Amino acid sequence: MSAGPLFVVLASPEHEKVQLAGMMASVAAVSERPTQLFVSMAAIMIFEKGLSAEARYKGGAFSAAMLEKGAPDAIELFAQGKILGDLKIIACSMALAIQEWSLDDLEDGLFDEAGGLTKFLSDAEAGELIVL
Amino acid sequence: MTTTTIDARGSYCPGPLLELIAGLKLIEIGDEIEVWSSDMGSVKDIPEWVAKVGHEMGETVEQDGYWSLRIRKSK
Repeated sequence: MSAGPLFVVLASPEHEKVQLAGMMASVAAVSERPTQLFVSMAAIMIFEKGLSAEARYKGGAFSAAMLEKGAPDAIELFAQGKILGDLKIIACSMALAIQEWSLDDLEDGLFDEAGGLTKFLSDAEAGELIVL
Repeated sequence: MTTTTIDARGSYCPGPLLELIAGLKLIEIGDEIEVWSSDMGSVKDIPEWVAKVGHEMGETVEQDGYWSLRIRKSK
């Protein structure tokens, strides 16, 4: 594993991709690899405050099985990455504006700030970028 | 030296690793944690993480339907 920071863009609200983003971001963050997650497009909708797991997680052939088998909750994975490691989560300011949302509409304790893609991409020049 | 057991059987990747890391924050240097995991990936993932961050890996024993992994906190 590279020692450089990891940058993840999550644009898809599909459960499988959200889950994989949670797995990668949390594991990298707790492995002494600074990690930033930029949540944009429809992916912002799965972070809406107060949703049930059934309402939040949809899409992908594995979604129903992951819910049935009790795979780790993706929101919890992001939260653990922040508590136990070096994980910064940024809400795309454009996606928030499209939804007419502010950070207060998103799950508590996850997002560090609302920000733009330019700053994120500039930061990402220092590491590895993954887009989901 | 004390040993704490974390029963992560039934937890899917990366659950056992994250439970281990949370547990390490609660013990002293030199103390050990024994993780029980039924997740096959954790048998390789946990030793990889332990080596990367500088703790000490003890023995891994396959039990009946799960693995027991022993980790000593080194820093």
